[in-house]
Amino acid sequence: MKEKIAQVKEQFNSEIELVRTEQELENVRVKFLARKGLIAELFDSLKIVPAGERPQLGKSLNELRTFAQSAFEECKKGLGSLGRATTARSMDLSYPGRKRWIGSKHPITQTMEEIVRNFSSMGFVVALGPEIEDDYHNFEALNFPPDHPARDLQDTFFVSGDILLRTHTSPGQIHVMEREKPPVRVIIPGRVYRNEAISARSYCVFHQVEGLYVDTAVSFSELKGTLVAFSRQLFGRNTKYRFRPGYFPFTEPSAEMDISCFICSGRGCRVCKQTGWLEILGCGMVHPNVYKFVGYDEDNYTGYAFGMGIERIAMLRYGIDDIRIFFENDVRFLSQF
Amino acid sequence: MKISLHWLKDYVDLSGQPEEIAERLTMAGLEVENIEKAGDKYKNFVVGEVLEVTNHPNAEKLTVCKVNSGKAVLKIVCGAPNVSTGQKVVVGLVGAIVPRNQHRSDSTPLVLGQAEIRGETSEGMICSEYELDIGEDSEGILVLEKRARVGTPFARYLGLEDTVLDVAVTPNRPDCLSHIGVAREVAAFLRKKVKVPHIQGKEIREHVSKAARVTIETKVDCPRYSARVVRDVQLGDSPVWMQQRLRAIGIRPINNVVDITNYVVMELGIPLHAFDYDKLAGHRIVVRRAHDDKRFTTLDGAVRELHEDMLLICDRDKPVAIAGVMGGLNTEISDTTRNVLIEGAYFNPTSIRRTSKNLAIMTEASQRFERGVDPNMTVFAVERAAQLMGKIARGRVLKGVIDQCSKKFVARKVLVRVGKVNEVLGTSLSKKEITESLSRLEILRTRSKVSREQDAGLLFSVPTFRPDLEKEIDLIEEIGRTYGYDRIETKMRGHIRFSERTSELPLEDKLREWLASDGFNEVVANSMQEKSFAALSSEDYVEMLNPISKEMGALRTSLLPGLLEIAAHNFNHGTKNLRLFEIGKVYFCRESSDKRSRKDYEEEDRLLLAISGEAAPTHWDVPTRLADIFDLKGEFETLFSKIFLDKVKFIYYPNSKTLTDPTVGVEINKTYMGLLGRVNEQAKRLFDIKQDVFVGELSLEVLRGNITTASRYLSLPKYPSVTRDLAFVVNEDVSAEELRDAVREGGGDLVQSVELFDVYVGDKIGSGKKSMAFAVQLMSRHHTLTDEEIEDRIDQIVSVVASRFQARLRAL
Repeated sequence: MKEKIAQVKEQFNSEIELVRTEQELENVRVKFLARKGLIAELFDSLKIVPAGERPQLGKSLNELRTFAQSAFEECKKGLGSLGRATTARSMDLSYPGRKRWIGSKHPITQTMEEIVRNFSSMGFVVALGPEIEDDYHNFEALNFPPDHPARDLQDTFFVSGDILLRTHTSPGQIHVMEREKPPVRVIIPGRVYRNEAISARSYCVFHQVEGLYVDTAVSFSELKGTLVAFSRQLFGRNTKYRFRPGYFPFTEPSAEMDISCFICSGRGCRVCKQTGWLEILGCGMVHPNVYKFVGYDEDNYTGYAFGMGIERIAMLRYGIDDIRIFFENDVRFLSQF
Repeated sequence: MKISLHWLKDYVDLSGQPEEIAERLTMAGLEVENIEKAGDKYKNFVVGEVLEVTNHPNAEKLTVCKVNSGKAVLKIVCGAPNVSTGQKVVVGLVGAIVPRNQHRSDSTPLVLGQAEIRGETSEGMICSEYELDIGEDSEGILVLEKRARVGTPFARYLGLEDTVLDVAVTPNRPDCLSHIGVAREVAAFLRKKVKVPHIQGKEIREHVSKAARVTIETKVDCPRYSARVVRDVQLGDSPVWMQQRLRAIGIRPINNVVDITNYVVMELGIPLHAFDYDKLAGHRIVVRRAHDDKRFTTLDGAVRELHEDMLLICDRDKPVAIAGVMGGLNTEISDTTRNVLIEGAYFNPTSIRRTSKNLAIMTEASQRFERGVDPNMTVFAVERAAQLMGKIARGRVLKGVIDQCSKKFVARKVLVRVGKVNEVLGTSLSKKEITESLSRLEILRTRSKVSREQDAGLLFSVPTFRPDLEKEIDLIEEIGRTYGYDRIETKMRGHIRFSERTSELPLEDKLREWLASDGFNEVVANSMQEKSFAALSSEDYVEMLNPISKEMGALRTSLLPGLLEIAAHNFNHGTKNLRLFEIGKVYFCRESSDKRSRKDYEEEDRLLLAISGEAAPTHWDVPTRLADIFDLKGEFETLFSKIFLDKVKFIYYPNSKTLTDPTVGVEINKTYMGLLGRVNEQAKRLFDIKQDVFVGELSLEVLRGNITTASRYLSLPKYPSVTRDLAFVVNEDVSAEELRDAVREGGGDLVQSVELFDVYVGDKIGSGKKSMAFAVQLMSRHHTLTDEEIEDRIDQIVSVVASRFQARLRAL
């Protein structure tokens, strides 16, 4: 009797699974749930089992009936929502196909990869450096002497003693030059930290890409050429540019590079603060003091370095006006990229 | 630094629009961040005359006025009690933006339009001083003096025609923290001459050396101290022009003596301080370190805790100022001040910076001193202030200047090689061009006594107001700057090095590519998190000494907590189905094995996958199924297959410290690689998550270390394979993995694959038992298998499995 109940359940399951039309569903109902259906038959045969087993079996039979009843209702509802179309289901090709989930790479990753790819094509090799840095690499060897006001430009998170979270990817330059003799031509992507108030424009964690090229007879003129080629690849062939004097302790001469605002085509808008220009990176010729720290001969070598913020470039490219959205990771945002 | 153009014109002839001047400065390296026209605030406000006042027909407290605005006679409804015919008033025309809105407390700007007020049209507004943001009276309208001319723009009436440039001065240019410094830059770029203020004033016969004495105890910290004394000043308001200039650049006028010192600071960049001469005990100035002085009250009323090394200005008995930072309350200029001692000094930048950092106060003075002021300007600055006090405050200036100077500050001589200039800049400038461009910055060529060899270079003399110019490279920048960065060729060809492929990035790149195409969204989370999360790791975490907040006190030791926050955010915003991944670093701190060195810090790359919600996108033909741990495990297995890792083991891993339950450990070649599991109830409560989330986190380092990159081609099999299905009934506690391993072992070298395709638990096989069915594929690379060989292997498999697990074969 017990086996019989299981068997009917299995049979019911396999048949209701195959139902495609209302007619088929009706057939299942008649076969199992009708007054003379299989389940009713089982209830009838309860009479012939020994009295001791009867309560137990009755219980499982009731469960079977409830189960079958609800499965039937479920299926009926399903059919109802499909409406008339069910009868010709295989023919209506306007039904959606079976899709898969769509994934995405984070916009910061995408921007970073594009920038790195861009410089790789110009012969730059990727190098990496630690995020937990010491004062020497983050500041001193980059010509920020202790007690120098330039240190105020970068609010620092300290970990212990002279250990800190790097405030820029520039210490990567020092690591590379300590490791290798010139010529070096590297690009250093990575995460950096600044202890600044969080706002739409600044977040305590962000990403940068640093570039360094040291060789014989590398000039500011070549630096300009490399960065113009880069910005045209990234922002379009007709991008206008300008270099204006800037200040970074580890480069001299130093410059800020602006490109023509691609939102207003240089006419002036909110994003470029009516200037027609967008600041995209800082750069300059490696300061001879830096060569002293890494043991390069400052008379034989010249070189350039540059650095840019990934979030800033991504914000400009995608028209994002709040940096925090990158770190919120709302799927409705992520799936737009 | 705010620069008033009106003021700037005192020192250099300026022509052109403010925008052009701003552009020039920006291109010279003094970035102008904002151009503020003082008059803009009062655009569309003019002086008007009230011609007629009649009562409003429908409102008792209102009047209807006819007002001449110069261009038209306007009808204006007014609510002020003091309005009357003949008054000169300020009229806000249609389109004007009222600076302060007295009718709304939420400070929404009020833009004037033509309005209907109780049935009467109003074509503007007569304003109160509150509304104009020049006073607090909001009761009545502002009534101007009779001679005010109708139609004059209100900004002009106030004298607000100045334009103020907000210049971002970089730390290397202390000289540009003054109007004269910016004027020098402008002059250099416009090829004009700078006009330095002329000092001329009457002195009385009494000599300053009789009136005061200055002693410097620490000459290292204070190489120069200059002072003048002015008697019988008449304290009062400064003249309007001075007040306007100070206000324009954001300085509140106080009284003529204080205003003059502030004015000279902003003019010359030399911080000055004015002491009440009569309160200086013994009329003495002693410059010394704090030593035993522990506390000092500065003029802002704050009590400052002193450090013994801090530099103080003292009189005979007591400290009177924290040198270069802030003066003291005890000798402050007050209403009773009659005689003044003016201080102009050069302090050691490092000493001032340390004091300012230590006390956490930054002042106009400390900012300039720590960047380095011109030591040769201190005398000029005190003279200038004395001159102004004589003129404006009608003081009597004592003869002579006290100038304690322990060191001669001579112009620095820097050698510049023409070849180096052109090598660095990529130019081909001549000696003459180099000399010319530097001379514009007052950096002049001097005759060098050294040999006249070919590349001996040119010797230049750098003025002492440019402490940033120390070496040849600094002058090369100045040459580039005056020559113009834009004129330097943009060289589109360069040497290129052939790059080697780096081994570090590619795996991450591949994983990102695969996971994104596998329907996962990449997340990038903050690596700073709450300490309690970081502490979940068994290793020491890295803590910040100055965290931005409690929620970001430590560096993460796992990607999981950050992900749960992101998951919760998404659930709360209606996204219930998540497939997320992150590739990021975790951070640890370890005691170094080398006792002398500091702690070791480690950064480790991790990969995290998370799945929650439905297992597949909703489809009308497929019943909805919620994802479970096998979906996640499958993703990892697929990933491992993609990188040909087959030595991976998943091990049930009871661990109360993890955020998951159940938890499966992942090992590769017996090395622990990470965990996967379902987020446990406690963690769900902690992050306020209601639905199940399945997560797995692996070490990329371990993964990377186990990849064999050189995958060699294996020729395709020439002989057919045979697949047999075998189902075994075993005790419930036998794992699929054990059973599969036994099947592989029994089948030996002929086994190509063993796939579990069915599991059955039920009455048919008895309680405490389960049946697992495998598809076993057999093949030989050398010949076609015969029936006997196949049967033989199948028997072997059955016997291994039977003896190891007391299993029986189940008929299929």
